[in-house]
Amino acid sequence: MKQAKKTIDGEVVYRGRSMGQETWRRLKKNKGAMIGIAFLILLILATTIANFVYDYDTDIIAMSRDRFLAPCKDHIFGTDNMGRDIFARVIYGAKYSLFISLGSTAIGLLVGLFLGALAGYYGGLIDNVIMRLTDIFYSIPYIMIAVVVVSLLGTSTMSLLFAMALGTFSAFARITRASIMTVRDQEFIEAGYAMGLPTWKIIIKHVLPNCLSPIIVQTTLKVGANIISASSLSFLGVGVTPPTPEWGAMLSDGRSYIRSSGWMCLFPGLAIMFTVLALNLLGDGLRDAMDPKLKK
Amino acid sequence: MENVLEVKDLVVRYETDDGVVYAINGLSFSIERERTLGLVGETGAGKTTTAMSILNLVPDPPGVIAGGSITLDGKDVLSMSEKELEKMRGNDVAMIFQDPMTALNPVIAVGRQIAESLVIHEKISSDKAMERAKGMLEMVGISASRSYDYPHQLSGGMKQRVVIAIALACHPTFLIADEPTTALDVTIQAQVLALIKNLIDNNHMSMLLITHDLGVVAEVCDDVAVMYAGRIVEIGTADDIFNHTGHPYTEGLFNSLPNLKQKGEDLIPIKGLMPDPMRLPEGCSFSPRCPYKTEVCNSSCPSLQLVEGKHYVACSRLGFLKK
Repeated sequence: MKQAKKTIDGEVVYRGRSMGQETWRRLKKNKGAMIGIAFLILLILATTIANFVYDYDTDIIAMSRDRFLAPCKDHIFGTDNMGRDIFARVIYGAKYSLFISLGSTAIGLLVGLFLGALAGYYGGLIDNVIMRLTDIFYSIPYIMIAVVVVSLLGTSTMSLLFAMALGTFSAFARITRASIMTVRDQEFIEAGYAMGLPTWKIIIKHVLPNCLSPIIVQTTLKVGANIISASSLSFLGVGVTPPTPEWGAMLSDGRSYIRSSGWMCLFPGLAIMFTVLALNLLGDGLRDAMDPKLKK
Repeated sequence: MENVLEVKDLVVRYETDDGVVYAINGLSFSIERERTLGLVGETGAGKTTTAMSILNLVPDPPGVIAGGSITLDGKDVLSMSEKELEKMRGNDVAMIFQDPMTALNPVIAVGRQIAESLVIHEKISSDKAMERAKGMLEMVGISASRSYDYPHQLSGGMKQRVVIAIALACHPTFLIADEPTTALDVTIQAQVLALIKNLIDNNHMSMLLITHDLGVVAEVCDDVAVMYAGRIVEIGTADDIFNHTGHPYTEGLFNSLPNLKQKGEDLIPIKGLMPDPMRLPEGCSFSPRCPYKTEVCNSSCPSLQLVEGKHYVACSRLGFLKK
């Protein structure tokens, strides 16, 4: 859009805003998205500061004394079966949960975007080969893939990341392919060729930006889903190894004490819930803000 | 006078699963510098395929350019490499598309879409290109302040002006306009035609105007070619075609237009439909619908014959109409 600026001699000058500025301007008006962003920034800040200021081993594990303390003044989230402060563990755990879910989604997105764009734009044999391969991955439950990968590569954060990316890319490939196929036959693509644009530029500048909104929504939903997946895998014991304070692993630890000390499950569970909610709110807001057709 | 474009014996087929579509069957015409040729014909006559062939953009598969040559400014388009083609498209030859609603990218501001072509062909910075794009918008009659608007914020006529601005951005020597006014209402049509004509004259460009509207042709074109089933049946100056019609098909087209001088008269439509391009009739492809056909028309396919000056007609019974 344009921005009117009065210069000294009273002449009105119009200046454009970049795509990023414009998106931000409209995102600011969306309350849900702003709450989501605020929560995520707070979480990232807290986990970063906690990791710089305190050392997990000396400050949390070594300081543990009282076991199964209910939430109180000193330990606002209570303590667990080892006497560790749950609030501190939840904040530390954000690092692992966010890193694994963002990382696996990013890898899945890049691979899926590339494969989906190839399949959707060229069609024919390329499309068939790529999509049937994708179908194979889509048809295996992600927990199966993860268990196989983790047992092959050993239990580590990196192998968990890789396993979850394998389970993620197929959804992105499908969504990208479908939306590219609706865009590829439109006249402005032909107009791009008639203007002398090379194919790769047409795909990047004209086809992909028109497919962005479903992909953005899918991305934010996947980040949320992957937090839950990572937690589930840790809960099952194939994810992050203890004593790493990953949220799912904390849930798993608290399971045995859920009758007597429910707060051990409650707080990591709430952390997962609110983070996923924040990501979804942000995703919805981004989709609305980036679509020029929804402009008011 | 020197020719900007020369098309010789062009043959284009679409090889689909259902059979071969003979879209263009031995098409020849040329356009002189700073002249405008109107290519007229009904839907499916091969007009758009002709335009796409000139840019070597016939979708392949299923399209195959099976023969002939297209020479543009002395260079053979059909033997160019992909790199040379990219350099030629948009720079030497530009195209105005039929439907401005879909010819613009909905997620890029219109100014940037004009600038894009400049950045590619003139290798200037995107800020400089944006300044030039604003100038182009002013030239087609849109305020420069609209350059950051998206296509959905403009009306249909304005969008077509933007499409024209994109086509003219790099000052091409040759312009292809594929039914530029079909999607617009009549008042806007007149404005857009006047704009195109003005720009063509001021920039000393040549144009191929594709249309099925004879009124548009009369207003804008110096020369006219009438196309039927992938061939040119009559070509000449606008005066030749309008006042000394030589082909039964052209005559049929004029008879199906309302005539202001003889109000109340019935229109005489051309009987039948255009032949299926998968199964073209033997001999003259217009013969099944021709009111003047004889035995000869069923067996031999007539080629273009000189009538006088620059006027050529492809009919076995040449001269019949004049009597």
